[in-house]
Amino acid sequence: MNTQTDTNNLVTIHTANDAEAVLIDLVKQGDTSAYRRLYEQYVGKVYALCVRLSADESLAEDAVQEVFVQVWKNIHHYRGDSKFSTWLFSMTSNVTISQLRKQKSWWRKLIDIEDEKVPEIPSDHAHNPHDHQGERLDVCLRRLPEKARIVFVLYALQSYRHEDIAQITGMAVGSSKAQLHRAKQLLKEWMSDE
Amino acid sequence: MNSSQFDTQLPDEIAHLKHDVAPKRDLWPGIELAISRQNSEKPHLNRMLEHVKQWFFAPQMSIAMGVAVTGLLLVVANNQQIEPQKSSGLVSQLTAQHLQQKNILLASFERQPALTVNWQQQIEELDQAAEAIRKALEHEPDNLALLKMLQQVYQQQIELIEVVHAPKWTQI
Repeated sequence: MNTQTDTNNLVTIHTANDAEAVLIDLVKQGDTSAYRRLYEQYVGKVYALCVRLSADESLAEDAVQEVFVQVWKNIHHYRGDSKFSTWLFSMTSNVTISQLRKQKSWWRKLIDIEDEKVPEIPSDHAHNPHDHQGERLDVCLRRLPEKARIVFVLYALQSYRHEDIAQITGMAVGSSKAQLHRAKQLLKEWMSDE
Repeated sequence: MNSSQFDTQLPDEIAHLKHDVAPKRDLWPGIELAISRQNSEKPHLNRMLEHVKQWFFAPQMSIAMGVAVTGLLLVVANNQQIEPQKSSGLVSQLTAQHLQQKNILLASFERQPALTVNWQQQIEELDQAAEAIRKALEHEPDNLALLKMLQQVYQQQIELIEVVHAPKWTQI
């Protein structure tokens, strides 16, 4: 019975991958309606990553638009060696971090003093003890200082290595490890505080 | 919550994060506008460059590359930095020199049979490639890579004429 279910799942996965490959081929040929379907398939996931990296809905929306413009521009570079989602999320991380850098506050946050501060969160995003799992973590992520948040999201949610994070963010590998430690400490403190 | 509790709870929290979060506004119209602008900006140029790329990655063309690159390096060495106003003149000069060399070569091989039947078609296709690069250079007159490509195409034409009329047999 289980074997049958597994087989069905495998068939479903193959069909989904094939359909996506066809969509990508069409996009490479300049088919905008195919691109819209690809966009609809991924916009929620891309936005989720952008908003978790930036903790700023407006910036995240701009980043999503930039990501999908960049994907359209560079789709011919995608050779299918990795999963499309991996390629897309890598571009998403780069674009979002680049958008953050463009913000004046990013440069201020390069100064360590600023990075020590833990930002206040608006009341509508305040931690609610009745938040469900996941939602509670999302609320806490917003409170993390920028560098700690970026490192945590890339490491814990996107499974990047510290070396990759260092390359994307321009920080040292040691700093990436330190920021992850800091993020975990803060999250532990806040998530215990119920 | 102690440290070990947190370590066990964190993966669970991560697993429960929403994978999809809908943005509050429709972002597609902005994307569609940006990509449609982008499409209308340089479609012709892209097509031309695609045509040129096909030529440059064709296996039979790779042989002539070494010679072409050497010649090109000499040109680049003499023109460390090509000024935009000079580059259009350089294109005309290159083209004129090439035509002269090509005509002399064709005249010298006039009575000699060619080894392949479709060599003229290949010459024509290289002409088309050169034409595409020249048009691209009108848009980007200071693009050194395009100038290199043009010179390589010209060199390939010369090589082709020589190879089909006067093959250099390997002596054993």
